Amino acid sequence: MRRTLLVGAVAALLAVSVSGCHANNKSAGPAQTKAKTGGELDVLSPSPTINLDPAKSQNLATSTIHLVLRSLTTWQESATQAPTVVPDLATDTGRVSNGGKTWTYTLKSGLKYADGSPIVAADIKYGVERSFAPQLSGGLAYHKTLLVGGNSYQGPFDGKELDSISTPDDHTIVFQLNKPSGDWPWIVSMPAFAPVPKKDENVQHYGDNPMASGPYQVSSLKQGSTLVLKRNPHWDRSTDPVRTAEPDTIVYTMGLDPTVINQRLIADQGKDRNAISSSRVPASLLPKVLGDPSVGQRLATSPSGALSYLAINVTHPPLNNLKVRQALEYAVNKKAVQVAAGGAKIGGDLASTLITPGIPGYQSYNAYPADPTGDLAKAKSLLSQAGHASGISLTMLTQNDSINLAEAQAVQSGLTAAGIKVRLKPEDSDSFYADTGASKGDYDLAMLGWLPDYPSATGNIEPLFDSSQIGNGNFNCSHYSNPAVDKLIAQASAETDQATAQGLWQQADRTIMADAPVVPLLYARNAFLRGSDVANFFAPPYPPYADMLVVGLAG
Amino acid sequence: MIRYLLRRLGGVLVVMLLVTAVAFAVFFLLPSDPARLSCGKPCTPDRLAQVRALLGYDHSVPVQYLQYLHGIVLGRSYGSGAASLHCPAPCFGYSFPQGRPVTALIADRFPVTLSIALGAALLWLVVGVLAGLACALYRDSWLDRLVTVGALGGVSAPTFLVGLVGILIFGFRFNMLPVNGYVAFTDDPAQWAFHLILPWCTLAFVFAAIYARLTRTQVLEVLGEDYIAVARAKGLSRRRVFVRHALRAGLTPVLTLFALDLGGLLGGAVITEKVFGMQGLGALLIDAVASSDLPVVVGCTVFAGLLIVLANLAVDLLYGYLDPRVTS
Repeated sequence: MRRTLLVGAVAALLAVSVSGCHANNKSAGPAQTKAKTGGELDVLSPSPTINLDPAKSQNLATSTIHLVLRSLTTWQESATQAPTVVPDLATDTGRVSNGGKTWTYTLKSGLKYADGSPIVAADIKYGVERSFAPQLSGGLAYHKTLLVGGNSYQGPFDGKELDSISTPDDHTIVFQLNKPSGDWPWIVSMPAFAPVPKKDENVQHYGDNPMASGPYQVSSLKQGSTLVLKRNPHWDRSTDPVRTAEPDTIVYTMGLDPTVINQRLIADQGKDRNAISSSRVPASLLPKVLGDPSVGQRLATSPSGALSYLAINVTHPPLNNLKVRQALEYAVNKKAVQVAAGGAKIGGDLASTLITPGIPGYQSYNAYPADPTGDLAKAKSLLSQAGHASGISLTMLTQNDSINLAEAQAVQSGLTAAGIKVRLKPEDSDSFYADTGASKGDYDLAMLGWLPDYPSATGNIEPLFDSSQIGNGNFNCSHYSNPAVDKLIAQASAETDQATAQGLWQQADRTIMADAPVVPLLYARNAFLRGSDVANFFAPPYPPYADMLVVGLAG
Repeated sequence: MIRYLLRRLGGVLVVMLLVTAVAFAVFFLLPSDPARLSCGKPCTPDRLAQVRALLGYDHSVPVQYLQYLHGIVLGRSYGSGAASLHCPAPCFGYSFPQGRPVTALIADRFPVTLSIALGAALLWLVVGVLAGLACALYRDSWLDRLVTVGALGGVSAPTFLVGLVGILIFGFRFNMLPVNGYVAFTDDPAQWAFHLILPWCTLAFVFAAIYARLTRTQVLEVLGEDYIAVARAKGLSRRRVFVRHALRAGLTPVLTLFALDLGGLLGGAVITEKVFGMQGLGALLIDAVASSDLPVVVGCTVFAGLLIVLANLAVDLLYGYLDPRVTS
């Protein structure tokens, strides 16, 4: 709490005091021009550590770890469109058989590690196996429940193999799943599907310098200080569909204060012209950034992003009444929430769907069409139909940082106008997630945000609305349980035909929204700054972070 | 003196046991679950149980505490077989998210904090005490007023404000000094000092003010004592009265405060490190709190506690030396 306050004050101070200093003469290079080959790209990061162990990594396919490691598939990004899954080490995105339960991949020929040794299928199997070891848990784990025998398997270090992964030869790898999965091509893009040579490894230190399969390898890593990536001479550009690998070196400076990072990029002096920020622009610096065109044009803003939403606890009276929940859908003033989040340009567009823009299969619709400020008459009429003409009182959980509080207060005032009294209960993030993830669910409303870990509608819907995801620290914070929806989710997850699956997810989206367990608020944007000599720096609709695989320096 | 020392060391041990016990309670009083943090995404109950067992969280609280103490004295291992995670003594726990023993993390970060704290402490002690002495000597002069007012500013200004104003003026405005980052002394001593100038001055500005005020008050108080009057009456020179009689008594509380301040600062100059992007113990602690990396939180707390206790011990021994009545 204290820290947030301090950082806020700090940011405000910097914003006010610096505005006189760098008012002009800032050349700003174009954002999406082609990058030149060579040079040193600097990444300014607030994170104190960088983890390059594929088993423990939660990095998305466009993030740092994938500069060093390649997986079976990867994501083709664009500045405006939803990503597509494309083959990376494999020749295709997977050949499916056995009703969606068997997936076969063939490796491209001639692939080599940084030391020149060949990448073989057994190394990918080993990489996946080691992700099951409790010592190496903590990474993205979507494969662990899908692979046959995965629930009880505890890694290869005691000599046991996971039999559901077979490698008939050096170029072929076959996965046996315990149920059909249409998302498998996305899942094998995750870090755990990067090859790890099977030899005596120091489990604690593999991540310090993992065997590189991507265009870069670790030159030096000092946790808390710097990570230097240099070229991997054995990476073959012709085998890689997405990575442009233009800079010769990429230097990460860790543990920097987010305000100082952004202040440095606003100042754009000296070496910082070659730098990018991996920290979102803090709200307090936005006026400064947007007020100066030479700075503003160095801002990469994602067209979409995480869904901000209001979870309604459907088990708590009177919220167990559909009419009351529908009244909430109409009563919320989404426009006010948008303003609290920094306005449309930075905060994000108003949301009405559960599947977010940037996820394949997104369709725009609004089950509760109303003015952006809400429809109070309709809300009041629904409340009186439900027998609550005199109004109701609810409690709302929110995190106690300034942005969450501001958005919560915007929701609160909208609801108050409709005769719904809301008592805010701000909590620190640990308590907040402990409470919203608890099985008893002792609250009426909660302000939440959600970003899927891979661009499939599964990630929008299943974690938030499947009845198996209630409590135990999971994220069905509405305590929503609808057997018809569970069935749709199961059916859509199992569908290997993308178009059919997307139709089913769309159906799930609409079915859930008819039950009104959440009020979608915003498709929250992210905004990042770059130095004036950086090229090809953009944040796609999904994931709403800079695509690290293509950024480089301007020619 | 030896008996006194042994008694104090015994006290240190008892206090440290209490500190570890209280710090350890963090695991059970906070809502976050360190096993869940290391469980991955999504986290199934089976997987959570495996991680819990690996980290030893499946045992009862007293057993976990004993294991913790055992680790400090003899080291411990998490898991078994070829891939077990070893944490050599003194093991203050294992940071699973960072994949390192907490002791190693502290050892990594301590030089940063030590560099900040020692340099700043030296600066503020010299500046603060000299300014305080000057004020005491020339009481109610323009110098006294200037220092007193300046000290009021220093005492009132929060570190982060001073630090950021420093960054703005000397970093962004005049581009004279680096705005953040730390260079190890062993890498480049000149750059090490260059990067530390702002943090040193920031801390010294705030602390020197306190020391100037304290020194001034203490010395003035002593100068008003009867024995000083006696010394003067005996015809001792002004200089001799001041240096031999007033300083020794007047500066003792300053040294006490200094030892405690330094001990506290060595445990982590939280705000200074954050503002200047230096990864010392304070930054380690704050990041651990933010990410609920509880073993690190506990380890840093115990370490910081140890430093304070050692500083106290140093003060006690110093008192014992200055005033023999204490040890008898």
